[in-house]
Amino acid sequence: MTSLAQSPLAGVGRLVRAVAPSTPLIVFLAMFAYLGMASSNFLEPSTMALVLKQSVPTVVVCLGLATVVMAGGDDVVVGGIDLSVPATAVLAAAIIADLVSNHAMFIGYALLIGVAAGVVCGLVNAFLVVFFGMTPLLATFASSTAFIGISKVVTASRRINVGDPLIVWLRDGSIFGVPAGVICACLIAAVFYFVLHRTRWGLNLQAVGGSRDAAEMSGLSAARFIAQSFVIAGLVGGVASAFVLARGSGWTPGTEENLMMEMVLATFLGAAFSPRRIVTLWGAVLGAVLVSALSVGFGSVGIDIFWTGCIKGSLILIVVASAALSRKVNA
Amino acid sequence: MTEPTGHILQMSGITKIFPGVVALDNANLAVREGHIHGLVGENGAGKSTIIKVLAGVYGRDAGEVVIDGAAMAAMTPAHVHAAGIRFIHQELHLVPHFTVAESVFMGQELQGWFGIKSRAMAEAAETFLKETLNAEIRGTTLIRDLGVAQRKLVQIARALIDNKARIVVFDEPTAPLASREIDQLFEAIARLKARGISMVYVSHYLGEITSICDQVTVFRNGRDVGVIEAIGPQDTGRMINMMVGRDISDLYPAKAHAPAAALLRVEALGDHKHFDNIDLEIRRGEIVGVAGLIGSGREELVDTIYGLRQPAAGRMLIDGKPVRLASPAAAVKQGIVLVPRDRRQDGLVLGMTVADNVNLASLEDVSRAYLINRPAAAKRADALAAKLDIRPRNVDTVARLLSGGNQQKVVLARWLATGSRLFILDEPTVGVDIGAKVEIYRLIERLAGDGAAVIVSSSDPNELIGLCDRIVVMLRGSIVANVDTATTSLDALIALTTGGELHEGAVA
Repeated sequence: MTSLAQSPLAGVGRLVRAVAPSTPLIVFLAMFAYLGMASSNFLEPSTMALVLKQSVPTVVVCLGLATVVMAGGDDVVVGGIDLSVPATAVLAAAIIADLVSNHAMFIGYALLIGVAAGVVCGLVNAFLVVFFGMTPLLATFASSTAFIGISKVVTASRRINVGDPLIVWLRDGSIFGVPAGVICACLIAAVFYFVLHRTRWGLNLQAVGGSRDAAEMSGLSAARFIAQSFVIAGLVGGVASAFVLARGSGWTPGTEENLMMEMVLATFLGAAFSPRRIVTLWGAVLGAVLVSALSVGFGSVGIDIFWTGCIKGSLILIVVASAALSRKVNA
Repeated sequence: MTEPTGHILQMSGITKIFPGVVALDNANLAVREGHIHGLVGENGAGKSTIIKVLAGVYGRDAGEVVIDGAAMAAMTPAHVHAAGIRFIHQELHLVPHFTVAESVFMGQELQGWFGIKSRAMAEAAETFLKETLNAEIRGTTLIRDLGVAQRKLVQIARALIDNKARIVVFDEPTAPLASREIDQLFEAIARLKARGISMVYVSHYLGEITSICDQVTVFRNGRDVGVIEAIGPQDTGRMINMMVGRDISDLYPAKAHAPAAALLRVEALGDHKHFDNIDLEIRRGEIVGVAGLIGSGREELVDTIYGLRQPAAGRMLIDGKPVRLASPAAAVKQGIVLVPRDRRQDGLVLGMTVADNVNLASLEDVSRAYLINRPAAAKRADALAAKLDIRPRNVDTVARLLSGGNQQKVVLARWLATGSRLFILDEPTVGVDIGAKVEIYRLIERLAGDGAAVIVSSSDPNELIGLCDRIVVMLRGSIVANVDTATTSLDALIALTTGGELHEGAVA
C-alpha cells in the first residue's frame, strides 16, 4: 500500500542533521580561503602575529562567557549567558584609567581595584539571576547597560590615555619573540582549562549546565554553581580590563560594542569545534582567534568597516541558527 | 502491624495531608531484607506520595519510618541517602554530552593532584557495570550514543557506585524500554538481589510485578489495602480486585448514541519509535476509548492523528479519502479537534474571556471584512455557554477564574463553534472534581448523540468502560486488544492494559 515512509523530507532531515552543526565551520573556512586569495599578506606570519595580539581581549572575555554557558546550559534564551562581561571589562578599565592617569595611583593597586570592581559586577549578576530568578539574557543585558553607564560617569565619557609602563608592555612587549599579551592570555586560558575541564568542581559545574535535574539528584546545588559562574565571569571581566587598556592605549568610549559582538560570535562558534558540539573553553578561545583574524583580514583587503559589521552580524545569525537547527532536528 | 524481624524498612501509620486532599491515610509499607517488594495501585492511590515521603521530599504529618531497626526522626534527602536508600526515578536525569564514567561518578568524581582521573573513572565505571549489572558499556562512551536500556543501567550504576546502597527504590523502571531491553534490566535486578540488596519496585505493569517480586503491597485511596506474600501469576486477579475496590457506575450517562458510517480509518500507522502497525476505525456517533499505560504509545498515537506528530508509515482516511495532516491546522480544517491533556497549557488562553476563547478558532464566522462583529460573537458564545452549561454564565469572565471542569467546557465550546466532526479528548477528566466529571461525561455522550465521532484517550479504566462503545488497548506500541465495553469487565481491561495474565476463576 501507499506509505508515508521514507518521504523526501526524511532525507532532508538527515542531511540537515549531519551538516547543520558544521555550517559555521564551513562558512568560516570559505571566508578564510577568500581572504587568503584576495589579500597577498593575509597568511603571512606577521599578519598572524597581529591577529593573535588583537584577539587577546576577546579571548579573555570569552573565557567568562563560556564558563557561564557551561554552568547554565547552552539554550540561549533560558540557559546561561552573560552579555555583561565586555561591559564589566570596560567599567574596570575606566576605573583603572581614571585612577592611574588622573589620580597617579600605582598601577598594581589600580589593577586590584579594577578586578575587585569586576567581581562586584559578577556578584550583581549572580544576585539578579539566582536570587531574583531573572532570565540571564535579560538580567545581564540590563546590568551591562548599567555598567557602561557607570563607566561613562567615571570618565565623563572622554578618552583617557594610559601610558603606564606595565600597560605598554602588555601591548608591545614580548618574551622570546612572543607578544606579552598573548602569553598572558595563554596562561589564563590554561588555568581556566584545568579548573573547568580537569577538576571535580569544573565537571560538576558542567553537569549543572548539562542537566540541572541530574546534578541536583547527584546532590549538587545548581544555584551555587550558577552563581559562582557569574562571579567568575565578573572576575574575568575585571582581568580583561588590563588587555582592553593595552589594546586601546587607554580608555575609549564605545569599546564594549565590538567586544560583545566578537565574544558572542566566538563563544558559540566554538561549539562547532567541539567533538561533543557544546560550548567549551578551547572552542571559545579558538573561535575568538578566528573572529579577530576575520576582522584583520577584512581590514587588509580594504573592506569598508561598516560592511564588516554587517558580515559579522550575518555570521552570528548563521552560528546561532545552526545551533537552533541542530537542536531542532535532534529533538 | 507486621512482625518486625527481618524487615529492613518499615513505614507505619504514614499520613500525608495536602490542602484539601488526604494523600496518605495511615498507610503502611514493610520491606524484608534482601527481598524485592512490589508496590501497586491505580493513579492517585498514594504510591508516589509514600515514595516521596521515604525520599524525604515530602514531610509526613503522622507515622513512623524505621530503617534497619533505627527510627528516622528528621528525614531530608541527605539523611535518606546516608541511610543507604537509593532511588531510580522514572526519568533518566542524565547529561547527554557526558561520558558514561562522568555520569556514573557525578558528584563523587575521583580527583588527584593533576585533576580529574578520567582513565581511572572510566575503568572503575566499566568494571562496576560489568560486575554488578552484567552490562558491557565503555566508560568513555557519550550518554547520547547509548540506547534507553543502557542509559537506565548507567542511572542504576550511578545510584550504587559508592557501594553503600541497602535499599533501592525503582519507580516504573521499564516504562521507556522495549521488551527485550526489559530482560536485561531484570537480569541486573536479579544480580542486585543476589548481592543482598533490598528493593522496592513500583510499577503499573502487573506482569512484571508477578514475575520479579517476592511480596506486593497494594495501595488504594491513600492506604495499603493488602499484602500478597509469595506473589505469582496466579495472583493477578486478586491484585486487580484489591486495586479497584467497588465500582462506581452512576457516574456515567446511559449510552443513547447510535454509531453510523465510518468517519476515520487508520491503516498500519506507525512512527517506528512509539507505536507501529496501528489499525483503527471510528464511526460517526461512536465513542472509542484508547487505553494504555504511559509509554504504551497512546499519547503519541493521539497526537499523530491530530497532526502534532508525523507518522513514518501507514495512512489515514477520512470519509474514505486519504489525508495527510501536516499540522494541527490541517486537522482542524478536516474537522478533527483535540482537547489536550493539559488544558491550562495547550487549550485555553487563560487571560482572555470565555467569549474570546470560544470564538478563537472561528472568528471568520463572526467577522465582516476582517472586523469582528462583537455583538454577534458575544451572542454565539452565549448560546454555546448555555448549551454546555458553562458557569458562571457570564461570557465576559476571564478564563483563568473558571474551575477545571468549566475550562474543559470552554475548550469544547470552541470546537463546537467550528462545526467539528471528530473530537479527540486526551485525559478529559484529569484534575477535575467528581461533579465536573459527570458533566463532562454527559457532554461527551451528547457530542456522540449529535453525530460526532469521539476518541477518548484515558488512563482511567473506569472511565473508558463507563463511557465508550469500544476500547482499543495499547501495550508497548501495539494494539493488543479491541474490545466491546458491553462484554468487558474492569478487571479484564486492567489485565490487558498492564500486560498481566488473568487466570479464569481467579477473580472473585
